[in-house]
Amino acid sequence: MKIAQQFTDKTLTLSLDGELDASSSVLLDTELSKPDILDNEKILIDCQRLNYISSAGLGVFISHLQRFQDANTKLVFYNMQDKVHNVFEILGLDSLMTIVPSQAEAAAI
Amino acid sequence: MAAYVGGAPAPWVTLVAQALFVVGVFLYRRAQPDPLRGTDFVGLLRRLVLGPGLLASICVGLHLLERLVQAEMPTEGRMFFALVYTINLGLFIIFLAYTNYAWRGLVMFRAAPHIIKEWTLFEVLLGVTLLFRLFTWQPVAYVSYAVVGAVGLFGVYLSGNQKWVAYLNRRQKWEIIFLQTGVLLCMGVFVIYFLRIAQDQLQMAPASQQAFLLVTVFFASFYSLMGLMVTFFNLPTAGVFEQKREEILSIQRLTQLIQKGQSQEEIYSTLFDSAVQTVNAGAAWLEVETDSGYTGQQLNISPEQSHAIKRLLHDYNLGHIEYLNNDLNHSSGFRGLQLPFASLIVMPLRSSKRRYGALYMLKDQSQAFDRESLGILQTFTSQTILSIENLHLMAASIQNQRVQEELKIASSVQESLIPKTLPTDDWFEISSHALAAKEIGGDFYDFLHLPGRRLAILIGDVSGKGVTAAFHMAQMKGIFHALMQENPLARNEREKFPVPSRFMAQANLALVHCLERSSFITAALYIIDYENGGFVFARAGHCHTLYYHSIKEEVSYFRTAGLGLGIIRNDGYEKHIKNQFYDYNPSDVMVIYTDGIVEARGADQEEYGEERLKKMLERTYYLEADEIKQQILDDLGEFSKGQPIHDDQTLLVIKFKAAQPEPAH
Repeated sequence: MKIAQQFTDKTLTLSLDGELDASSSVLLDTELSKPDILDNEKILIDCQRLNYISSAGLGVFISHLQRFQDANTKLVFYNMQDKVHNVFEILGLDSLMTIVPSQAEAAAI
Repeated sequence: MAAYVGGAPAPWVTLVAQALFVVGVFLYRRAQPDPLRGTDFVGLLRRLVLGPGLLASICVGLHLLERLVQAEMPTEGRMFFALVYTINLGLFIIFLAYTNYAWRGLVMFRAAPHIIKEWTLFEVLLGVTLLFRLFTWQPVAYVSYAVVGAVGLFGVYLSGNQKWVAYLNRRQKWEIIFLQTGVLLCMGVFVIYFLRIAQDQLQMAPASQQAFLLVTVFFASFYSLMGLMVTFFNLPTAGVFEQKREEILSIQRLTQLIQKGQSQEEIYSTLFDSAVQTVNAGAAWLEVETDSGYTGQQLNISPEQSHAIKRLLHDYNLGHIEYLNNDLNHSSGFRGLQLPFASLIVMPLRSSKRRYGALYMLKDQSQAFDRESLGILQTFTSQTILSIENLHLMAASIQNQRVQEELKIASSVQESLIPKTLPTDDWFEISSHALAAKEIGGDFYDFLHLPGRRLAILIGDVSGKGVTAAFHMAQMKGIFHALMQENPLARNEREKFPVPSRFMAQANLALVHCLERSSFITAALYIIDYENGGFVFARAGHCHTLYYHSIKEEVSYFRTAGLGLGIIRNDGYEKHIKNQFYDYNPSDVMVIYTDGIVEARGADQEEYGEERLKKMLERTYYLEADEIKQQILDDLGEFSKGQPIHDDQTLLVIKFKAAQPEPAH
């Protein structure tokens, strides 16, 4: 699992590359737990290279959901592969989180 | 040699008797166990001086008595003189035998095998000197001198074996010098006595085994003298030897502590004591960085002084390395501290993984430590680190064992949560399969018969693994049984039990308080009313239900919306879940499962997937529930052959059958 960071104009983009399982989700959790992350207006998660997400990986996003909402920081997923999208959908997270097809749409939010 | 007293036995008788006595005494001593016990050299010499040495005193006493008698009775009692002489000779021989075999013990101490052979040869040669006095009454001068001289030289050669001296400490060396002097004095007393007798014209001494006595006395005295000299010249180095000995003993002590597996604190304080003792430090302190309460110890140093030194080392960036300063009074920083010390060693305690602390040694004099002290401290600290890491490893392995134990408990909890018997009725068939992964996923399912020919089925999956997962499973089961109680205030049949969506909302509320933020539970609750031929279910983030519709002859998933439990933690949950009502027909098949089935990996890391599962049901819907389940499992097994099972796998197959009237009771 590799996490690339890009920061532009109060928007933080995290590109996830690989499998988000129990061990790699710790890395992601460390990133998302940083206090200054709430200074961003938007956090975009690029899922183009995310091949798999385990329940531990989902748990990381779930655990930060409320915190981002409270701080008015938007969490947006884009470029999600079908099988990963399916996992979000089965768990019902698509009704709670913003998942859009492309980067352009993500930027427009 | 001398003229003999009338009536005295013939010389050869005397000589043979003497020889036999000598051989007897020497062989007796030879057969006795080695007088040297272990490395108790001082004890050996002390016994030699106190025992046989006493004989010398008796010799002197007898001689004085003899003189006294001589003064009283000038020409009488030659027999008496001969008697005294003979007794003294006997005592002398016994003394020599003791000395000789005491020296044998010392010569043989850790000796090479050839020394043992040479000693035996020496004994044989001594025997020979006895013999040639027997065969020729008057020794042939050249031959006897040559042989005696040769044996004497051999004795000198053997006297070179003084290895034992190295094993003495300073105090013992002084004792040995004292005792060796005692032995030499005893020897001197005898020799002087016999020399006097030989010159005394009045007292005609009987013939003696001169050659043998000469050689033996020479060897005994020479060995003793050599020992004395060697010990004496070794005195100045005794301190060094003792220090080395102390180092070895300290390392042994430290090593023993490893095997005993004692506490960290004990190991550190052994290190401290050993180090202080070995380098003879005037002041010292040990600083330990651990999570336990122990922080180290001090000797002759105040906290202010140690803090000042540490701060200074830190400022010079020397805090984390080995450091030796033998002239603190001329080092700029230290001079300012006004310390009563002039030499300092800092030895960090660290392994490749981490730092454990540091050991500080101080001495009053300058140039007090050398490279060797540094080496010793290095050995000590590395031994200590080894012991400490050993302790950590042991603790970790105990911890690991406990985790294994806990997993066992979690397994048995999981095992007990899953119903052992399946509900049976004429209206449906149920077949179930549950396979727990090694690490325990969090799959569970349960049944509950409700009044009015209804059956509630709950299936779920707790995120996370191990003990926590098992704990949440148990909780979920408890919630299931608690919420599925008949509501006595219900106004109609429908309100007696919560509908699945209501159940999920209540379960969500109950779980919010005990699930960690990153944990969630997926579940699906089915209530089958087989009196009316219908069911209702709600899916809380759980896998979609696979269904065979016999009327349409079609297999499809019920794709209802529904959020997992524990994800949102306010009252808004019920908005995110829907109930699905369906009237079933005979021969319909419902397949309920957990993600361990559809996410099972194949050889190329591909997932089994919903599509493959659907195809399997399309091929097997007409079979019995048991058969359908078995075919699916066989296909899954084939697909994920050789791959490890990462998650629990649960599969329930329910086949509805043609409605039959309830048998009348």
